[in-house]
Amino acid sequence: MGLRWFHFALWGGLIAGMFLLPQVVSNGTLRTMIFANYLAIFAISWDVLSGRTGYVSFGHPFLIGIGAYTTAILTKRFDIPVEISIPVAVVFTMIAGLLVLLPALRIRGSYFALVTLAFMELLYQLVQVIRPDLTGGTRGMSGIQTLTRGAANGYYLSTALMLAIAVSMWLLMKTRLGTALSAIGMNEESVRGSGLSTTRLKAFAFLTSAMIAGLGGAFYVHYLGSLAPRALFDINFLFTIIVAALLGGTSTIIGPMIGAFFMTFLLEYLRPVLPGAERYFVYGAIALLLYMYQPKGIVELVKRGFKNLSKGRTA
Amino acid sequence: MSAALQVSGLVKRFGGLVATNDLSFSLNEGESLGLIGPNGAGKTTVFSQIMGELRQNSGTIELFGKEISALSTPQRIRAGVSRTYQIPRPFGDMSVAENIRVGLMPDDIRRMIFSPPDTERERELALSVGFSEEDLDRTPTELAMGDLRKLEMARTMATAPKVMLLDEVFAGLTTGEIAQISDLIQSMRKDGMTFLIVSHDLPALEPLIDRAIAIERGTMIAEGSFSDVMNDKAVQASYLGGA
Ligand SMILES: Nc1ncnc2c1ncn2[C@@H]1O[C@H](COP(=O)(O)OP(=O)(O)O)[C@@H](O)[C@H]1O
Ligand SMILES: [Mg+2]
Repeated sequence: MGLRWFHFALWGGLIAGMFLLPQVVSNGTLRTMIFANYLAIFAISWDVLSGRTGYVSFGHPFLIGIGAYTTAILTKRFDIPVEISIPVAVVFTMIAGLLVLLPALRIRGSYFALVTLAFMELLYQLVQVIRPDLTGGTRGMSGIQTLTRGAANGYYLSTALMLAIAVSMWLLMKTRLGTALSAIGMNEESVRGSGLSTTRLKAFAFLTSAMIAGLGGAFYVHYLGSLAPRALFDINFLFTIIVAALLGGTSTIIGPMIGAFFMTFLLEYLRPVLPGAERYFVYGAIALLLYMYQPKGIVELVKRGFKNLSKGRTA
Repeated sequence: MSAALQVSGLVKRFGGLVATNDLSFSLNEGESLGLIGPNGAGKTTVFSQIMGELRQNSGTIELFGKEISALSTPQRIRAGVSRTYQIPRPFGDMSVAENIRVGLMPDDIRRMIFSPPDTERERELALSVGFSEEDLDRTPTELAMGDLRKLEMARTMATAPKVMLLDEVFAGLTTGEIAQISDLIQSMRKDGMTFLIVSHDLPALEPLIDRAIAIERGTMIAEGSFSDVMNDKAVQASYLGGA
């Protein structure tokens, strides 16, 4: 459970590997990896709340959307520099989440999921009617300032952001706080019966999750340079995030990362074969299979594999 | 001097069912009280009200002279009362040590993050309820009922209670395990712990308590020494007659 040298060695290896990658792969692959990085950020954000505490959020596109819209509007309509607009977007996401989603944390189970889903849909409807001069209405916004030029730079920025979030969340979740949040997911009553105020813990998890979602949403929109409400507040986008976390392994940090890369590349390779929405069925099926045979996800499969390998060697 | 725990005029209704009927009793510091009664008499419901997991319809609950009815469960635990559950509720995917860790945590997010777990104390608590060193890394799915009860005890002890409520501590335990838990309770009594104990295993309960109260359908029917309560006509009729 504690921090070990090999943990740091693994992270070091991953960081070095990811930053060396542009030397060996094509720009096309790098662009796919940029999407994987952002998906990993969103999946980590989802996992910090839902994977740990078991309060399943269907509202993450809502949070991501607040972050993305805030910085897009501030930079494009008011010429505010990104150094200011991105932090403001993050704070806004946390506040908006606090106001509308936090009260829902008192509701158990599927109702929490439903309430969060309703907010995603609500925001989708709202951006189209309220101040379309600011939000761009149904058509969204384009010509939003981009932070980088070229695939390699976009890759470096998204990788740095994703790894910074991953490492800091990993460190945070290694503490007793991470243990307490996971305990809520296993038995919330027992956590209260152990003397811990679960409402405060859930609120903390929620704010952390919202912060990451806002940060990811803001950087993502400054990578894309455009914003389309139909794509953002989309059930497929939501499922991609959730399935990435479940597939990789919840309650871990590396799990949602692996899940995000797996999903992104799978989707990419399926594109020529299954150009339409059918490919979502394919990874829905894969998720289901994995979930049936290894509910703890890819991370657990890899761990088992290593255990068997080392057993095989000693035997 | 005020009692460690004082329950007065407690009433709890579930619809038409009166699960606790004008119940009053008090528990002095360092005392051990047995709470007995047939299945469904309302023993667990009393525990849940003391812990704030259920709200009473009327009546007061005082801990060391302070009315705690308005406090949340975590606040009551901080005030010094803790319980075990009849059906153990461990954290299924965590090791024994981590289960105890949750009980040891301060209710303060900053300290949870910045101060490390007290693994030595986790180990100490685990060993004190009869776990071995190897058990520390095992998960509840690998544990037998007896071990789950021990874990429940250890996690409850971890919250550093002054008053402990034990619900059916001996259910599902082997004779050896009963002896082990009994020894633990006896040594905690020597150290001044205050207990309220529910058990169906009366021979095992007898040596652990100073006094007993018997309830039936939420109503107190007898109070006194263990033998007085056992010899009470009403108790024999309702409890022993049925058993
Ligand atoms: N949450 C509840 N809702 C409705 N009835 C309950 C609830 N909890 C307990 N009861 C009822 O209250 C009575 C007392 O239950 P309980 O306190 O569990 O008894 P004991 O622990 O003495 O066996 C039983 O008749 C039980 O069915
Ligand atoms: Mg009971």
